[in-house]
Amino acid sequence: MNETQIAEFNCTRCESPLESGDLRCAICGQAALNDQTVQRKKLAIQILRCTGCGAAITYDPKHQAPACSFCGDVVKVESIDDPMEQTEHYLPFTVTADEARAALRGWLDSRGWFRPSDLSASAQLTQLKPLWWVAWVFDAEAFVSWAADSNEGSGRSDWAPHSGQNNIQFDDILVSASRGLSLNEAAAISPGMNLATKRKTPEGADRDATLERFDVQRSQARQEVSAAIHRIATQRAQQHFIPGTRFRNVKVAIVLRRLVTRRMSLPAYVLAYRYKDQLYRVVICGQDIRLMVGTSPKSLIKMIAVALVVAAIGMLFLLILAAGS
Amino acid sequence: MATDLANSTSDQLEISCQSCGARLVLEAHLRSTLCPYCASPSIVSRPPSPNRPSPTFLVGFVVDHEHATKTVKNWVAGSHIFARSDFKAAVPELTRGVYLPAYLYVAVANTRYSASIGENYTETETYTTTDSKGKTVTRTRTVTKTEWRPLSGNHCCYVLDVLVSASQGVTNAALEAVEPFDLRALRRYADSFISGWLAEEPSRTQDDCFRLAHDETIAKVGAMLKNFMPGDSHSNLEYQTDLSHEVIDLVLLPIWTYAVRYAEDRPPIQILVNGQTGRVAGKVPVSAAKVTFAVVGVLLLIGILFLLFLAAQG
Ligand SMILES: [Zn+2]
Ligand SMILES: [Zn+2]
Ligand SMILES: [Zn+2]
Repeated sequence: MNETQIAEFNCTRCESPLESGDLRCAICGQAALNDQTVQRKKLAIQILRCTGCGAAITYDPKHQAPACSFCGDVVKVESIDDPMEQTEHYLPFTVTADEARAALRGWLDSRGWFRPSDLSASAQLTQLKPLWWVAWVFDAEAFVSWAADSNEGSGRSDWAPHSGQNNIQFDDILVSASRGLSLNEAAAISPGMNLATKRKTPEGADRDATLERFDVQRSQARQEVSAAIHRIATQRAQQHFIPGTRFRNVKVAIVLRRLVTRRMSLPAYVLAYRYKDQLYRVVICGQDIRLMVGTSPKSLIKMIAVALVVAAIGMLFLLILAAGS
Repeated sequence: MATDLANSTSDQLEISCQSCGARLVLEAHLRSTLCPYCASPSIVSRPPSPNRPSPTFLVGFVVDHEHATKTVKNWVAGSHIFARSDFKAAVPELTRGVYLPAYLYVAVANTRYSASIGENYTETETYTTTDSKGKTVTRTRTVTKTEWRPLSGNHCCYVLDVLVSASQGVTNAALEAVEPFDLRALRRYADSFISGWLAEEPSRTQDDCFRLAHDETIAKVGAMLKNFMPGDSHSNLEYQTDLSHEVIDLVLLPIWTYAVRYAEDRPPIQILVNGQTGRVAGKVPVSAAKVTFAVVGVLLLIGILFLLFLAAQG
């Protein structure tokens, strides 16, 4: 966590870093203005004038800025900042394309008993594409109030209510912003990313790598990260704090402090292979060859065989029961 | 460009136009004015005081005069069926586009709550009834019952973006009716944003506004708690909220205000338009005659149906 970049200003209340253009803290709402207004001691009257022609300027809703009524000059104002999210750091590829190709073969061989026997031999690799996909990585301290039903202490009903408050420390939590990878794929390969290897530029892949861009603005990014925090806090409350083994109606309220979000591009190989005219897709972590996720064909014949065997055993069992009674 | 002032009484301010020199009288609750002779926009900056701090933020007008008038006309004409006809036909008069002072309040809400939580379960019970042949039989059915369990706990959260009117002229309820404002478009206050527009100074005390903000925040927490309760249902929800880390900032909000005069003997209706989103709100006067007609009509209908029913029975 020592590589966490410290922003220029932190919110004085919740200590979350403020980003350029923030007028208020996005977490706790504290105003974040460096006081540049001159406190007037005396009453003053003024007319604001155009620097070009000297005529009076008035605010114009069309431009959402002050404009000169005479020469039409629009006064430049501090823009409302909601920039598109931009990658700050790239993790390099440490897995080569050849290693990824070999890993796919190994993976196909280990698809379990249902895989077609000729899968590894007949599968044709049709595409192998390095991809830098985008994600947010955040740290935060959360004070979580929770309430939920669980089986613990239940009476006549299956459920009993519980409540409590706990601190949760979030370190290096990854939230996918990718459109190229599904949530499932991103979640499967995320644990392999070593955030300490971050670089200023993309490294380690050949030239035809795809560089994904964030396609949301800062305000929406904050909403997505906040939704992820809510989701993860709910899971953690369930895993660690709420007594019992079965849960429902898990509700959390969160007071966040020190939320630091980084925008990252992370390496992955996206592979496509063909088996009997059907295309399948596999995603491999660009930093850990063991993490891969994808689809593979199942042998229809083997599945039918198993179904038949199961049905036969079932019938036999019923017959025995019937004979017994 | 700024000059000190000549003359001021407590309620009104006499200033001279910086452009044409005419003497202007400015109401004490205004921060800006237009010269009636040369149309020059003047901005008045007073030394801040506890009940009259300098604005921190501003939301700029997006909706212009023409657009606002059109939406108000549509809104008045499209008001519900019990609205007075003379109201629907009335022409709304623009009184002004004004930057309304409001306080933007945020706090940490720490709440101690208790409630009865209803957890449902099903039970099979036997009951006796008569079957189609008139015999008494015993049957079973499943019924849903509720087990009530006490729950108490603490709930802690940020409450953000509570807006309360700081103007005597617009009640907090009237402001709420045209909310929300998109606070992502919040700007740092600068005089140039109000130039040429009317801008009010706060006319409610900060204590009053704090009270309004507290009430609104407590109500918000109550709504959150209802959602927070587990179980299939809950009752007897009681809570006590402490607000800490409070921050209050003065913000100027863009509002078009209209007056609708629809009858000689009635006061005009105030209609507000959110100058950022175009949302319209106001109290529509209800026509007593229309409501009476409707009630009488419904009663008549019930009476006729009843008579028909009697006739059919007879
Ligand atoms: Zn903050
Ligand atoms: Zn000009
Ligand atoms: Zn003048």
